Amino acid sequence: MKIALFIPCLVNQMMPEVGIATLELLEKLGHQVILPKGQTCCGQPMTNSGCFNEARATTLKLLNSFKGVECDAIVCPAASCLVAAKENFHEFDDSDEAQAVIRKLYELTEFLHDVAPIASFNKAINSKVSLQMSCHGIRMLSLATPSESMDTPFNKVEAVLSGIEGLNIVYPQKRDECCGFGGTFALDEGAISGKMGKDKAHAHADTGAEFIVGFDPSCLLHIDGTVRRQQLPIATRHIAQIINMAL
Amino acid sequence: MTQTQTKTHAYKADIFCQDESRVDWHSKALWTLREKRDRAAKQLPEWEQLRTLGSQIKLHTLSNLGQYLETFEANCLANGIQVHWAKDATEHNQIAYDILSRHKVKKLVKSKSMLTEECHMNPYLEQRGIEVIDTDLGERIIQLAKQPPSHIVVPAIHMKKEEVGELFHEKINTQAGASDPTYLTRAARAHLREQFLSADAAMTGVNMAVADQGAVIVCTNEGNADMGANLPGVQIHSMGIDKLVPDMDSAAVILRTLARNATGQPITTYSSIYKAPKSGGEMHVIIVDNGRSDMLQDNILAESLKCIRCGGCLNTCPVYRRSGGFSYNYTIPGPIGIAVGASDDDSNSIPWACTLCGSCSYVCPTKVPLDKIIARHRRLKAEQGQLPYGKRHYMPLVGKLMANETALNCSMSIARTSLKILPHSLLKPFAGAWGKYRELPAGADSSFEAWFKRNREQK
Repeated sequence: MKIALFIPCLVNQMMPEVGIATLELLEKLGHQVILPKGQTCCGQPMTNSGCFNEARATTLKLLNSFKGVECDAIVCPAASCLVAAKENFHEFDDSDEAQAVIRKLYELTEFLHDVAPIASFNKAINSKVSLQMSCHGIRMLSLATPSESMDTPFNKVEAVLSGIEGLNIVYPQKRDECCGFGGTFALDEGAISGKMGKDKAHAHADTGAEFIVGFDPSCLLHIDGTVRRQQLPIATRHIAQIINMAL
Repeated sequence: MTQTQTKTHAYKADIFCQDESRVDWHSKALWTLREKRDRAAKQLPEWEQLRTLGSQIKLHTLSNLGQYLETFEANCLANGIQVHWAKDATEHNQIAYDILSRHKVKKLVKSKSMLTEECHMNPYLEQRGIEVIDTDLGERIIQLAKQPPSHIVVPAIHMKKEEVGELFHEKINTQAGASDPTYLTRAARAHLREQFLSADAAMTGVNMAVADQGAVIVCTNEGNADMGANLPGVQIHSMGIDKLVPDMDSAAVILRTLARNATGQPITTYSSIYKAPKSGGEMHVIIVDNGRSDMLQDNILAESLKCIRCGGCLNTCPVYRRSGGFSYNYTIPGPIGIAVGASDDDSNSIPWACTLCGSCSYVCPTKVPLDKIIARHRRLKAEQGQLPYGKRHYMPLVGKLMANETALNCSMSIARTSLKILPHSLLKPFAGAWGKYRELPAGADSSFEAWFKRNREQK
């Protein structure tokens, strides 16, 4: 397939390794990958703050960078940004062209589960990983059944990773409780955000896993900062990095 | 923008967080309720179907509210119940006082009602010489401690048993240093029994008002509503207009989820239906609007009126559990407190006391889209120019920076370089709350875009 990458600002500026892993793994799977120019941010920091006017120019800039781009899918390695982009595009531009972009948007895990599943992995990863079930991915994008729901359970994240030989998947206590990042929440509500991050970091470390693996870079950045502050013997990895290692 | 009179949620939460062991204890106590709820919900294969039905019943009733209120009133009158209408808290309190003063009531026993808290009725009546006794154990504890409730179902959840022991020793003469829950509960029971027997009138909240029956349903675990309503001659039931359900079948759906979602019980110990005054007595129902019909004007905010006050959203909320009920600047705390109280908060901060994680919306037995409602409040506050935490000043700058590729790339390049070459101890003070609670990220060598240009486009 021909895939256009949607690389959120956080990944582009602070976590390029996530973008590189995403690109490499998609290429290894035989896809043609392009990076449309002009992407900055999905507008989430502004819309999550309620500031829709301030988000308009940024959101439309991102949308415009995908309009008219020839591709089968637009793939993003960040669930929260993907959800925000979808909602914000719709909020600010309801044209057919915008709808065409929205229809092609996929979060990476979602893409690898629903659209182009991985036939087989090439390398074993002998490691124990604790999955970070970030809120927007599971509750707004349905990557897994939220723990509150009594619907028939499914878990696309685990399903995608379960093909990797040697990988031992575990979960922290309160498996899908929010890590406390919440964008500007981390700055505005420092004490609560800090405490939530600390509890989450300890819950992951208590599993004895080597890595905390997630699909949302912003949560991972937050947890990583907390893990290091708490000096816990665990490290964070994006799901793209794990998959790329196994291919 | 008006001058902020009230402290922000973050300010109050910061103080609560200073005693970390207390935060852990509080969080754990409430998470235990969430776990009990999960077990109870799991036992019903039709749980999600009940949630859907509950949501549909409430939406249907709210969409035809005028008609159901009229039916309810007509049926109440036919049953011999006196019906009163209050447009706001003041009217509610006046109506209650008029009834009580007509009967020369000196002591009113009240069973838990968040509506009378919302109307600040207790001080209103007390100023007019009527003693008000809250009879739910948790409510009585906080009443003796002169505190508001910190949770809608377990109002004294913030107090440890030792603190209750101390309070009871001072107020109802229990032994000094006693903290055994059974002993304290028995003492409270004896104390409350005296209050019931000496009261002149009783008041309760309403869990559901059944339109086609002209009846109200009151749920308690202690039987205190029934003790009150059955003893003195006058009984008053205060309800918001949102408490209506069409019939007993709809009430049954909600009764099945209410207690399960609140505490994990299959049903509240007492689910009593009152549909007529007792012989020789009077039964009054006060129907209160107090801003609810305004909320119905906004499609998103309107859904908060589907709430059945189970408290499930508080128990699951990671922010509420760690910041406590008194940080929300409103009688009702937690996600539902934000949903129904945000417009009354003059610190304008409570809609931001939330990470929009969505757990509350999934736990809700009537599918109130709490995260969407909270986001809506943020937008409404922004449109009114009432943003907290300096957002009014910095958000336009963030918006401009994010929309300008060159400026963003330049500033982020400087940030990456600083993170790479400067000691983080030097940078942390500039990183605000991030640096206070977390280590700073390592600066990457280049942006992904620059890497892509070097490794793909130039090859």
